[in-house]
Amino acid sequence: MSWIGGLFGGAGNAQADASAERMAAWEAALQSHGLPPFVEERLGAAAAGKTPWLSTMTPAELAMVRRHGIRPIAMVTGTCWYHYGYSWTRGHSEGWGAALSRVSAEAVAAGANAVDVTLRTIPLRTESSMDFTVVGTAVKIDGLPPSANPVIATVPALEFVRLLCAGIVPTGIAIGADYEFFTPYRNVTGGGLFAAWNNQPLTELSQFWEGVRRNALRELQRDAQRQGNGVLAHSHFGQLLKIERDKQPPQFLGRHIVVGTVIHTRRSATNARIDVKTVVDMRGDVSPLVSARPHGHNAFPSNEQDGPL
Amino acid sequence: MSVTTDVTKDIPPHAIERLRGLRNEGHPDGIFTSDFSVNEFLLVRKSGFEPIGLCVGSCVYHVGIQYGSWGKNQELDVLSQAMYHARELAMTRMREEAAGMGADGIVGVELTVKRLEWSSDILEFIAIGTGVVHAKGHTGFKGPDGQPFTSDLSGQDFWTLLQAGYRPLEMVMGSCVYHVAHQGFFKSLGNVGRNTEMTNFSQALYDAREIAMERMQHEAIEAGAEGVVGVDLHEGSHAWQPHIIEFFAVGTAVKPISTEQDASAIPDPQLVLSVNT
Repeated sequence: MSWIGGLFGGAGNAQADASAERMAAWEAALQSHGLPPFVEERLGAAAAGKTPWLSTMTPAELAMVRRHGIRPIAMVTGTCWYHYGYSWTRGHSEGWGAALSRVSAEAVAAGANAVDVTLRTIPLRTESSMDFTVVGTAVKIDGLPPSANPVIATVPALEFVRLLCAGIVPTGIAIGADYEFFTPYRNVTGGGLFAAWNNQPLTELSQFWEGVRRNALRELQRDAQRQGNGVLAHSHFGQLLKIERDKQPPQFLGRHIVVGTVIHTRRSATNARIDVKTVVDMRGDVSPLVSARPHGHNAFPSNEQDGPL
Repeated sequence: MSVTTDVTKDIPPHAIERLRGLRNEGHPDGIFTSDFSVNEFLLVRKSGFEPIGLCVGSCVYHVGIQYGSWGKNQELDVLSQAMYHARELAMTRMREEAAGMGADGIVGVELTVKRLEWSSDILEFIAIGTGVVHAKGHTGFKGPDGQPFTSDLSGQDFWTLLQAGYRPLEMVMGSCVYHVAHQGFFKSLGNVGRNTEMTNFSQALYDAREIAMERMQHEAIEAGAEGVVGVDLHEGSHAWQPHIIEFFAVGTAVKPISTEQDASAIPDPQLVLSVNT
């Protein structure tokens, strides 16, 4: 607590000035797509080994990356608070995109080769807007010079190293998103005098919703093509909303977003170097193999309606 | 976390005796208490350590009042100070208890904050973990200033960390309570129908996280750490107004056990596939 007096006990005006200076530095940095001087200083010192490294890795991940000649350098973050006006879906895509480009800028300043990140948001929603944040650990690989374009991956460090060992290179993150309105001329939700009693597939609605999902996945594929030849660990979130209209059949809004880690891998590789031992855990559902202790790296639950997307 | 308070003088003599008895192998009541799971217990012993007792530190804290300007991004230093100071007191008390029972360190520390139902200004901070000693009396695992080390790592993670050639020094943390500015009416009006970044909000989050991380890093430097493992950044509101958020960074500061272990000496984990399910 040695710093606490200095931080909190100073004159009020000096503190206010320092705070205003920091705000001005952040504003200038966001406008110029750069970093404030104090962030560059922190990351530069970490890159030079002058300050302790900070890492979101668990000890198991630390042991794994060190075993394979990878060292943590610093924690890096990217944040974008985005207001989605005309399009929730585009807003989400652009918000995550901006946060990822910012975390990449921090990784470059830290002299990193790669970053494993978690996507997250704070629970403060205001005015049709949301916080898009990525937090992760920048790492360097022994023998490699700092990368001008470090690899950003959503896979945890353990899996990152496992992929490398298998000759599969994570190369970045791809995003696919789509939203569409469906305005039917008649009721498509199975209502009606007699139809309500019957089992029936809602064909038109299904086709519409499937189309939205497929479009998002096509966009994910297009976005991934510029970086590699596969996508793993994708998280997705979709909503099909019903909009009631006066004296008309309801309208529908479908929106879907998919985020994943792009990899580059040789086709038909058998991963012969991976040696897997099969085990039977006598304790069934309490096995740590079945439910790992959460450690903060999977804070982006997929396919949950109340998920962070 | 270099502050120490002489808490042991406030502990009744019979409690001190009980604590001493816990680690005395010859003592008829020489039992240990812990919140370890079976796996944690096995791996802590595999690491060469023995649990000797549960260590608890608690602090009930009255949080002062501070208001942020409606339209201004700013740190609320009264609240930041309260959240940090109270946690620090709880941690210090837990460590004093561990020192009293002769522990070399505390594993699996859980740091929690509870709001008391009968007052909105009073928070209870609790730090709880299991005190451990090196089974062969090795003294090289103590934390800074010869105090017991503290770590929020589980027993499994503790074993893995030692396997990686590092030892825990102490839990390091940084706190920043921040008021995120509201957006003015005209600015909000200008955003209607537009997809656009709300830069004042972005700046606020960046600044608050950066301050929390800087403070945690400062503690790591003070502790003489090589690095900090398992850093977690929490955001919490503790029932304050919606735009007031605490950014709390916490992790375990570590340093190499002797000299840095060569990568080839670190065991490669064996992949297993449970075929139960």
